[in-house]
Amino acid sequence: MGAIDASRRFPSPHEVATPAGAEGWERMYPYYALLSDARKGFEEGKLWFFDGMHNPEPIYPFDTIMTENWWVATNQLTTRVWQIPPSLGIDHRIINGYLYISPNEIDDPDVIAKRAEFFTRRAGHYYANWDEIYAGWVTKAEDCIQRLKAIDFRPLPEDEIESNVTEHRGLFSSYDLLTSYGALIENLFEMGSYHFEMLNLGYGAYLTFKEFCQEAFPGITDQTVARMVAGIDILLFRPDDEVRKLARLAVELSLAGLVSSTDDADELLAKVAAAPRGDEWLAALEAAKDPWFWYSTGAGYTHTDRAWIDDLRLPFTAMRGYIEKLEAGEDIDRPLERILDERTRITAEYRELLPGDEDRATFDELVELARTVYPYVENHNFYVEHWHHSLFFNKVRELGDVFVAHGFFADREDVFLLHRNELYGALYDLMIGWAVGTEARGPSYWPPIVDERKAQLKALRRFSPPPALGIPPERITEPLTVMLWGITTETVQEWLGASEAAEGAQLQGVAASPGKAVGRARVVLEPEDLHLVADGDILVCRVTAPSWAPVFSRLGAAVSDVGGIMAHTAIVSREYGLPAVVGTGYATQQIKNGQRIEVDGNTGVVRILDEEVPA
Amino acid sequence: MSPQQQGNASIVWIDDETADSTRLGGKLGSLAEMTAAGFDVPPAFGVTTDGFERFVEHTGLIATAKEVCGTLDVGDLVAVESAAATMADIIMSGEMPPAVEAEIREGYAELCRRSGEDEVPVAVRSSGVSEDLEGASFAGQYDTYLWIRGADAVLENVRRCWSGLFGAQVLTYRPVDGVPPIVAGEIPGMCVGVQRMVASRTAGVMFTLDPITGDRSKIVIEGCWGLGEGVVKGDVTPDRFKVDKVTLEILERDVSTQTEEYRFDETSGGVEMLPVEKERGSRTCLADEEIVALATLAKRVDRHRGAPQDLEWAVDADGAVHLLQARPETVWSSKKPTSPVAAAGSTKPVDRVLAKFMTAGGSRR
Repeated sequence: MGAIDASRRFPSPHEVATPAGAEGWERMYPYYALLSDARKGFEEGKLWFFDGMHNPEPIYPFDTIMTENWWVATNQLTTRVWQIPPSLGIDHRIINGYLYISPNEIDDPDVIAKRAEFFTRRAGHYYANWDEIYAGWVTKAEDCIQRLKAIDFRPLPEDEIESNVTEHRGLFSSYDLLTSYGALIENLFEMGSYHFEMLNLGYGAYLTFKEFCQEAFPGITDQTVARMVAGIDILLFRPDDEVRKLARLAVELSLAGLVSSTDDADELLAKVAAAPRGDEWLAALEAAKDPWFWYSTGAGYTHTDRAWIDDLRLPFTAMRGYIEKLEAGEDIDRPLERILDERTRITAEYRELLPGDEDRATFDELVELARTVYPYVENHNFYVEHWHHSLFFNKVRELGDVFVAHGFFADREDVFLLHRNELYGALYDLMIGWAVGTEARGPSYWPPIVDERKAQLKALRRFSPPPALGIPPERITEPLTVMLWGITTETVQEWLGASEAAEGAQLQGVAASPGKAVGRARVVLEPEDLHLVADGDILVCRVTAPSWAPVFSRLGAAVSDVGGIMAHTAIVSREYGLPAVVGTGYATQQIKNGQRIEVDGNTGVVRILDEEVPA
Repeated sequence: MSPQQQGNASIVWIDDETADSTRLGGKLGSLAEMTAAGFDVPPAFGVTTDGFERFVEHTGLIATAKEVCGTLDVGDLVAVESAAATMADIIMSGEMPPAVEAEIREGYAELCRRSGEDEVPVAVRSSGVSEDLEGASFAGQYDTYLWIRGADAVLENVRRCWSGLFGAQVLTYRPVDGVPPIVAGEIPGMCVGVQRMVASRTAGVMFTLDPITGDRSKIVIEGCWGLGEGVVKGDVTPDRFKVDKVTLEILERDVSTQTEEYRFDETSGGVEMLPVEKERGSRTCLADEEIVALATLAKRVDRHRGAPQDLEWAVDADGAVHLLQARPETVWSSKKPTSPVAAAGSTKPVDRVLAKFMTAGGSRR
């Protein structure tokens, strides 16, 4: 592997121009998340890459809570808790509304050695007790979710509640509102801390197994290694499994025609309710919904990623697809047995190919460790990004209702146009107005700012964030960058090449799921565009969320700008047997809707076959 | 060898249950084993070691060989060439025992019937008893005649193969110690295979390990347009594909530009090196499905034999895959592969995980 040529660099982060109409966008974000002259030398001297995996869109001011969360939560583990020997945390900057991140490494061998002692002891404790710790983790996560559910926002009453007087609480509705907000924010940070508690160690164990395989079997693909470890009882597939069950039940109860008769979820529910045995189906739907429809349509890091439970169109669309297949006599079950058999076969065959008994013993131990950590690696997504985050954003909407009731906003969704610290101020403003009995400042102060920010975000959405900025190091060695984002020395070299070649007819990404397909490109930048996907289309996106799974059954292949072998797109594509190339950097910029493209999931190459963009 | 042994016919079919390498030689014996194991090997029969021995006895070849080669100085190349030419003349003109000739003619007629084609083109190749059994050392010192049609031509080329036993290279071949057996007047067992030609669209070789690194989790395929001689002889730069032996994923594709191929030439009536159209020559000579089909075949043979293999194959115009040759890989199979455990110097998995956090993304500056 060659080093990155020291003379090659990406544009400076300080040179990125603001798109027309987005002037003043910086005011949406906290000062510490912005580039500054004070830190210019530091900022220009390193590599920043676009984290489209978690935030494909410009970030809403409130939604920075998610990026700020891991700015502390994952980094404190790296720097202070485990003390991953060669790494400090990963820095953040928001540039034109998009999140750019930058790893920090430690070079001093004495410091590394000192940190290694901590790491060995502390991480060793977690590996040695993984199953027990994971069981405890599930309890903590569920408890955190239950406490989030219990948080209640309501407008301040015209007359203070009687019981607060008769029970001599000495605390009133304003205090409850303020503390509820505090509890909400703390609850998010609590879950954020659990989120990363085991994640990086999990990825590390997996990567160790992967590298052992790569050493023993040079050229073995990442996806093959993943297939040896992946389970089938992944929570992320449960929501889709529930939809299959509901499809089957609709057919059994002779409700298939009704369920398929309308795109309107409310109309569908009403029709089913009126039908004979419709109540049985509705009861099954209710049972499936909580928690399985707390399933985000995105990566779960922004409020615009609505959950299925909020918008039943997605699961219902998928269900109609399954009903069609059932009625055509097709099998809609995931081939669980085949996947498990393949996992067993592949593992046994590689094991057999190892040269000695000692190698086989190590292989056995590593595959066992990787399989031990993998349930956490795969399942934490459902608890955190889907269930908790979807619920969290809905709680914020309830808070939005409070502001609407007090005349601060026209729409509950406007709450997301304020940063959480601005909201804290606005909430106090609201309490003052209520307490004093005069008009608060907020109703006249915030609406114009909200409108301005909406226009700025709209302008920023038209900006295509380059995959990287700044000066790359000679090699990418920071372990989390490699493990979580799949960004390696080679990736950066590809980007450098691609940024120089500009308009290539070929993109190189990570081969994420085997097979080859040719089809029409459907570029999907927002989940709302998903319904435009036609059978056989090739999905081209910045990043996919697992809840896009239903649309995968229609796809010919999938291509994403961002992600590595552990990315959602990769996992779901392998599950659906679709060719996929992830981490292409520029696919959504270079591929136009309707172009014929060829996706080679074996080599990671995407070729644009049509030169002209079809009308 | 003894003409008195059981089943001493002059020809034996490779799908005959009594076929083995004692009478068919290494190459053909191996194909008999592959046929019995159910692999798609084009039909063939061998003119057996017994058949050859009858010819030797009928023509008094041992005495002649002693006379011509007995006092040969293997360092004198002119004398060696002259002896080889003399022996070839004697073998090409000596009288074939009538029973042997009749069996060969009937064998060819049967091959035509089995192939559903009059005067079916065949490949006539020597299959030495000592050849493949002693490793690769003798390989390539025997002859192959392609696209032979008609019983007379088959008979003539069987003799040619026999005379190859007295070729200059063989006469000077010296085992580790001792005198060349032929110079000593011993004639080794020799079988000649007569096999239906596959008019291959693409053909080549494959190894059930990576011949460069010895990695046994790979299958490496080299293929060229036309007949496989281009790859076997090495005068065409083949397309090269690396396949994962476990998952059959195609890991690497290295497609070369091929300007010529071996194929049958109507004008000369034989196999010639002929130009390949530019467009075809720049394309891959194997589709992905064919690569996977070949790798599947290779994996099955590897499993059947329980050791890494060196295989010759052909894909015909219909895309069907045929196995033409199977021999054990000799270079890496005798070595012990590198152990990943020894290389890393640690065996505790948790220590390995900790070490990975130190060195993610490769070696540090």
